[in-house]
Amino acid sequence: MTRERPLGLGTHIFVTDAEAAVAFYREAFGAAELIRHCLPDGRVLFVELAVGPDKLLLSEEIKELNAVAPTTLGGSAVMLLLELDDVDSAFTHAVEMGATVEMPVAEMFWGERYGIVRDPFGHHWALCTRREQLAPDEVAERVPAEPTDGKWTAR
Amino acid sequence: MSSTSGAPAITTAGFQVLLALASGHSHGYAVMGFVDQLTEGQVRLGPGTLYRTLARLVADELVSETETSDPNAPHDARRRYYQLTSLGERAVREEAELMARMVDAAQTAGLLDGSRRTT
Repeated sequence: MTRERPLGLGTHIFVTDAEAAVAFYREAFGAAELIRHCLPDGRVLFVELAVGPDKLLLSEEIKELNAVAPTTLGGSAVMLLLELDDVDSAFTHAVEMGATVEMPVAEMFWGERYGIVRDPFGHHWALCTRREQLAPDEVAERVPAEPTDGKWTAR
Repeated sequence: MSSTSGAPAITTAGFQVLLALASGHSHGYAVMGFVDQLTEGQVRLGPGTLYRTLARLVADELVSETETSDPNAPHDARRRYYQLTSLGERAVREEAELMARMVDAAQTAGLLDGSRRTT
């Protein structure tokens, strides 16, 4: 079979201000804009961003197409997960850029340093750096009996 | 995942384009032709993939557009000229060495017809 690229799962998010969102994702997460298409009225139908080895599609809120941003909905039921080389500096930088801390970076029992921010456009991002390569059984042994201060951090 | 040189991860299409540039093909159409020929038609870079791949490689500073590109040419990667940066050269070399080790292992495992080996 002739296939120019692997098929796969992508992420497509909606924001109220595409310009500001692209600038934020570029600065905070190193996203590179590859392609942009606008509607005749100037609204951004979609921007294709490269984030690490993956792609992230982003549309401006277009209610008639059911593209509704989390800030309009009053929340988001989805979290984006971004694995980085240095979660601490990325997390700090994202917060400096205007993201809100939802869970500070901490060592997690599954072997990652991990924290969660909400970006200025209402999307949740878990940022993490792999610290240990654990087998599933090793992770199971480390699951805390109960959360500490409401968090399931490493014992 | 980044490589040991700190270069960004390279996709399959990215490697094919870097390989084409390293082989002396600098024009978008020539890159597409090289990949088509190299893979005996099994991989065809469409204009969209070529554009995305080159835009990504340029953003990652592995490739730059050359001055011979006509700035007034349509924004179509097929009609533009590109070259490897020094970071791109290092990255494609590193990736090629890794692939060579895998090909050696495939050879040892008896997965390859010996006549296809060139080294």
